[in-house]
Amino acid sequence: MIIRSSDQVPRTTLLKRFPLPRNFGVSRQSRIERGRTWPAPAGATRVKTFEIYRYDPDSGNNPRLDSFEVDLDDCGLMVLDVLIWIKSKVDSTLTFRRSCREGVCGSCAMNIDGTNWLACTRFVSETHDRATIYPLNNMPVIKDLVPDLTHVFAQYSLIEPWLKSKTPAPETERLQSPEERRQLDGNWECILCFCCTSGCPSHWWNADRFLGPAVLLQAWRWLLDSRDEATGERLDDLEDPFRLYRCHTILNCTRTCPKGLNPGKAIAGIKKMMIERRS
Amino acid sequence: MSKSSARPLSPHLQIYRPQLTSVLSFAHRLTGVTLGIYAIALVAWLMAAAAGSQPYSIVQNFMQSLFGQVLLVGGIFCFFLHLCGGIRHLLWDTGRGFELRAIYASGWIVVAASTLLTVAAWIVSSILAR
Repeated sequence: MIIRSSDQVPRTTLLKRFPLPRNFGVSRQSRIERGRTWPAPAGATRVKTFEIYRYDPDSGNNPRLDSFEVDLDDCGLMVLDVLIWIKSKVDSTLTFRRSCREGVCGSCAMNIDGTNWLACTRFVSETHDRATIYPLNNMPVIKDLVPDLTHVFAQYSLIEPWLKSKTPAPETERLQSPEERRQLDGNWECILCFCCTSGCPSHWWNADRFLGPAVLLQAWRWLLDSRDEATGERLDDLEDPFRLYRCHTILNCTRTCPKGLNPGKAIAGIKKMMIERRS
Repeated sequence: MSKSSARPLSPHLQIYRPQLTSVLSFAHRLTGVTLGIYAIALVAWLMAAAAGSQPYSIVQNFMQSLFGQVLLVGGIFCFFLHLCGGIRHLLWDTGRGFELRAIYASGWIVVAASTLLTVAAWIVSSILAR
């Protein structure tokens, strides 16, 4: 099946996940155990089950997978509505980040049915019969669906995501032509939800040194900016076997971006710029 | 990261949905490794041929067994999948073909082309062997 835009949910699913044991190669404290089932409230007619990753740092227990039976007639249309419904009606300890509920803030990024997306912009009707919800992949978990993003934000600060210019500041704004401004379209819209970075197999294996698609998209955004005068230094900082070149064009990033951006294309742009400046 | 080392790591490969993007990338890696092993087998076959008719017929008998034939078809498929995937990567290296529709179209073309080429190679070689 041809996927035309990242918000498309495949109609058929051959495999929901790779044929591996669920705890394959997982460290002891990360092993996911069987959780409990939270039944639907009495009188519920349209019930759907959600399997949700739970981890309570205070209990000293391992993560577990709880099943929640959700009354869809009592609950909103989006996956975020389901989480809020569970928190207010079933288990108030369920923990997750959310803010804008309209796909602008990037707080509620999580792994829904095996791919990363924002819970607020994923319809419940688009999810599987037993929908699964995990936190963003390959991140230390603080609690339940809240991952620790310290490392990826540190990687973001490494590319120095601000305007660098040696020319004295002008009296007014630094002007751009409409064409120069248009260069930034498709790059500035990133909301730093890290759906792409946490869905990137290359970042799973080399998270410590590979910057990942979200950060490289931002690096590209500053390389393209006509007002920025540090292009050479920025490229020097990226010219590294790991920081940039661990991208092997897998393109899970472009497939999963909830804003429909194209980190894969941006990274190819950086690689091309590296070659061009050498000749 | 010392503070977070006590925290569990969220699952990744274990739960992420297999997609054409990641499956073809993994397949490209695996076929590359497989072809490395086949290269050794190819040398062994040539050495057997150089060593005389007796060792050569042993290898030849093995290749004509069902297991040998399966290995041959598998090897040919690995070769073509890696070749077509490599051409796809070369196209990407020029900065083209990154729209999601193009990524999926080229991916399915790689799958179809390598299957067809495997079948074609098998037919041609069996005609030549006759």
